[in-house]
Amino acid sequence: MQRHETTVNQPVEKEILFYLHNRAPLLFFVLDSKGHIVEANEHAETVTGIQLRGTPLADLVVDFSGTFNPGSFARECHKEHLLNIKTRWGLPQSYYFTFKEVRNQVLVFGRSDAEEIEGTRGKVQSLNEDLNNLARKLHKTNAQLEQLNRLKDQFLGMAAHDLRKPVSAIVHYTEFLLDEASEALTSEHVGFLQTIHSSTALMRRVIDDFLDVSLIESGRFHMNMAARSMEDPMNRSVALHRPVAKKRGVTLKVCLPCPLPMIPMDDFKIEQVLNNLISNAIEHSPPGGEVAMALSLTGEELRVAVRNAGEGIPARDLENLFEPFEGGQALKARGIRSTGLGLSISKKIIEAHQGRIWAENLHEGGAAFCFTLPMSPQNPTEQDP
Amino acid sequence: MKSADSMLNEELYQEYLKALLAGRHKECREKVQMLIHKGMGIKDLYTDLFQRSMYEVGELWENNRITVAREHLATSITDSLLNLVYPSLFATARTGKKAVVSCSVNEYHQIGAKMVADIFELHGWDGHFLGANTPAEDMVRFIHEVKPHVVGLSLSLLSNLDRLKHHIEVIRADFPQMDLLVGGQAFRWGGLEAVRSYGGTQYIPNLERLETTLAEA
Repeated sequence: MQRHETTVNQPVEKEILFYLHNRAPLLFFVLDSKGHIVEANEHAETVTGIQLRGTPLADLVVDFSGTFNPGSFARECHKEHLLNIKTRWGLPQSYYFTFKEVRNQVLVFGRSDAEEIEGTRGKVQSLNEDLNNLARKLHKTNAQLEQLNRLKDQFLGMAAHDLRKPVSAIVHYTEFLLDEASEALTSEHVGFLQTIHSSTALMRRVIDDFLDVSLIESGRFHMNMAARSMEDPMNRSVALHRPVAKKRGVTLKVCLPCPLPMIPMDDFKIEQVLNNLISNAIEHSPPGGEVAMALSLTGEELRVAVRNAGEGIPARDLENLFEPFEGGQALKARGIRSTGLGLSISKKIIEAHQGRIWAENLHEGGAAFCFTLPMSPQNPTEQDP
Repeated sequence: MKSADSMLNEELYQEYLKALLAGRHKECREKVQMLIHKGMGIKDLYTDLFQRSMYEVGELWENNRITVAREHLATSITDSLLNLVYPSLFATARTGKKAVVSCSVNEYHQIGAKMVADIFELHGWDGHFLGANTPAEDMVRFIHEVKPHVVGLSLSLLSNLDRLKHHIEVIRADFPQMDLLVGGQAFRWGGLEAVRSYGGTQYIPNLERLETTLAEA
């Protein structure tokens, strides 16, 4: 590069110095022999945000290695040094510094690399645009998925609604044949009818769960809230499950505190939750085992626990047990027939009551499924899942 | 849905513009969230706030009143604010029609084209947006894939007119009957005759005109 020699005269020098001190977007310091700043331009004051006179330049430099030394840098006056300066904005800024010794003082000039800064800014802007465009795509895809999900729920609801009647007819007519015509049939044919009955009964449970899910997702799963005692749904559910429990050799035990308070609930929906939890508990209990239902009052809540003496729940399943189909996978792994929706429906019902539902393994073995209902829920009639 | 005037008065607009130019993105976000919460329509938000402020920012830059860095910052903030609208924008009922909107090669000002794609979405179209600096070949490949009813091309700098013409020619070669919409701030300075010489090409000067065109479609 050709070096331009300028003829220095007083007015020109004065203008250049004025510009350097007041306008130029570069750092300019004059240091004494100890490296303290005796003079700095306005840009340096703006960038650092502190009073610079008397401050050691080393105090402004982010020097991880502790090697910064203005004196030795001044002896390499043709070399540029990349240094990071502490700024008033919190983040350090990089400058290329030149040090020059003149009459026991060191002149320090720091320039920023405009090309690098502009290049970086452009890339950051481009990345930001990419990010925003991806966010747009994500929102669009989410909307499409939500629409598909709604269609799925509509289809599910329609299919379940149309299937329920014929499946119920099969269940009823099979029951009728088993009651009225068993004596006229061979034991093998009675066995066929029992298989048809149990299979269609399961099919009807699946259809009922699908209908519930469809109603929940469409926001039409309304709660019929009224002040009730938990005793009623608990007694109905236990009575319903006694024959099955007896058949499997499982004892049902109920522990109710007296008196039970009246609390706002949709008792038929709560009975649905109890049916789900009690039938699961019976299925998980070994023959001769016990399923215990315990109600307790804790503070502002009524707590219901359904305990079984089974194998317990693997830790990996505990977290997702109440997600649709996840609970079913855990049950199926144990050879138990399940729709995989019962626990997720139970969760929706309990949440609509502003309660909580969870499962936990017991120290003594087995597992407990618990839920709480608040004694005084807020706006209970407005709560839909 | 409330009218824009009842929510976005001149004072609020000026406050927003001031925050936008100062790079106070949080303040801008709060104002937009407040307008959405109050029920301001998406179309009004786009035309009366985003489009108006970005036109004003562009003019300030053209007249050397603000730096290019500040113009880019205001653009980035506006771009990010569009995300606030998307949950309700994409939930509008679908018509089954599709549009592909893009910027040509070397066009780095994407926000206008993106807002055009969003207005398509608002009218129930699938408004696919390809982004800034899109090569003609990539665009044509995407058009083959999506099979849109309309393609929109944006031009912000008149110096990129030849590149835009190249895009039109490449699209026309594969899709002679495709309806093309062109728009962008560049056409304030010329170039209209050049694009009008291609058949089936319509100039859309602003979002309001796009609204009218889509309502008539």
